[in-house]
Amino acid sequence: MIWIPIGIGVFVVLVAFMMYNSLVGKKNQVENAFASIDAMLKKRYDLLPNLVATVKQYMEHEASTLTEITELRAKATSGQVSSDEAVELNNKIGRAIGGIMVAVENYPDLKASENFKDLQRSLNEIEEQLSAARRAFNASVTDYNNAVEMFPTNMLANMMGYKRRRLFEVTEKERENPDVKSLFAA
Amino acid sequence: MKTMDELKVFYESDLKLKLGSFEKRRKKICAVMLVTVILFLMLLAVVAIVFPGLRQPPQGLVFPGIIGIVITVGVLWFVSRGFVQDFKLQVVQEVVKFCDPSLNYSPKGHISQHQFQGSQIFKHHIDRFSGEDLVSGQMDKTAIQFSELHAEYKTTTTNSKGQRRTQWHTIFKGLYFVADFNKNFSGRTVVLPDTAEKLFGFLGKKLQEMNLSRDQLVKLEDPEFEKMFAVYGTDQVEARYILSTSLMKRITDFKKKMKSPIYLSFTGSNVHIAISQTRNMFEPRIFRSVLDFSLIRGYLEDLQLFLDIVDDLNLNTRIWTKA
Repeated sequence: MIWIPIGIGVFVVLVAFMMYNSLVGKKNQVENAFASIDAMLKKRYDLLPNLVATVKQYMEHEASTLTEITELRAKATSGQVSSDEAVELNNKIGRAIGGIMVAVENYPDLKASENFKDLQRSLNEIEEQLSAARRAFNASVTDYNNAVEMFPTNMLANMMGYKRRRLFEVTEKERENPDVKSLFAA
Repeated sequence: MKTMDELKVFYESDLKLKLGSFEKRRKKICAVMLVTVILFLMLLAVVAIVFPGLRQPPQGLVFPGIIGIVITVGVLWFVSRGFVQDFKLQVVQEVVKFCDPSLNYSPKGHISQHQFQGSQIFKHHIDRFSGEDLVSGQMDKTAIQFSELHAEYKTTTTNSKGQRRTQWHTIFKGLYFVADFNKNFSGRTVVLPDTAEKLFGFLGKKLQEMNLSRDQLVKLEDPEFEKMFAVYGTDQVEARYILSTSLMKRITDFKKKMKSPIYLSFTGSNVHIAISQTRNMFEPRIFRSVLDFSLIRGYLEDLQLFLDIVDDLNLNTRIWTKA
């Protein structure tokens, strides 16, 4: 008869141990996914000097945007920014690159150059990979949040001090459609 | 894309003559079959008369009956073999060339077992592998190859009397398509029909996560896509790089167009698509006229359906580092 409470006890311990490991695993997966975003951002930083150099000779009117990109990149890679600041910097870099790509329409020589075409392909690829990394991050945060908030793992999560995390979101400013005319303005 | 009118013109000018001679051959084959069947029935009648003992339990006639059917099918196969081969080489080949002159058609060729197994869509051990009707070529920037394939495995059971019975089970039968994918990637991502989620909902997803025979489960954002498919991949970020929001939508639309189960795999720089189908394509008809325009139209429609995959999945958009 004594085996029943012992059996139940063992079962509960096993379940608790599985839930604990699952929570830790999900938390680590979020860190992992965040690191992937960082890796993709670094790839983008590496492309930026090439972009500025290729475009500078042709695009006289875009000099200010190019300077902005160089400055933003320096700041982002300096290692002295907080993660929130880094996110904002990277959003700005993204917008600046987008602006250059649209403005290229005014410079047919540049658009046709092989250097630029290769660069454009690399930039397209890095943007897609960055988007993929952000989606993967959001998926792992959703998984983690589910575990932290759903029964029965929420009890254990509370005890472990695990809290809900924020998804990677587009800011209000980015949600506005870009004013293409202003991007073309000299 | 060829229109029906262009096909009609082609049919009238080029094909009708060839089809005419094939129709004559087909009629001869039918005549031979008819004679065979009549001869066999006569033989059966003779046997029944000469050996009245066999008639008493009518089951006695079943054994010679089965032999007769086997012989009839054997004769049909033997006599029509040459016909089917010639028809494919002369008629189907013409239709393929009409559709796109750069395409190559090989009636006996098929996608290799190595490629089939390499995609990791179907992981079962294969005991018998066959295929036919290989079409290959280049659609603008995308190299493609497709053929019919039939992969099977066998089980041998020994019943109580010690007799061994071999049963064949189909792993996959249908059309298998391989194309050069428009992005560079290094791992493997497999997209399978989602049966568990349909049946078991949330629990189904849990079961899929625990599937040890497959790579990591990748949970994607498109709800319609997620309902139809379960995705397993070697890398979470790469799987999402390949399966962009637009590609997921395109795959969903393609599945709706096909109406039969589809399986995809992204491996080794290519996309593999397996479309389950029971019907046999690009076959001539033995017991119905081959002069029928709808037969030729059917071939073209089938061909076009698969060539359109390149556009359906936007494979010619090459804006990333892969040319």
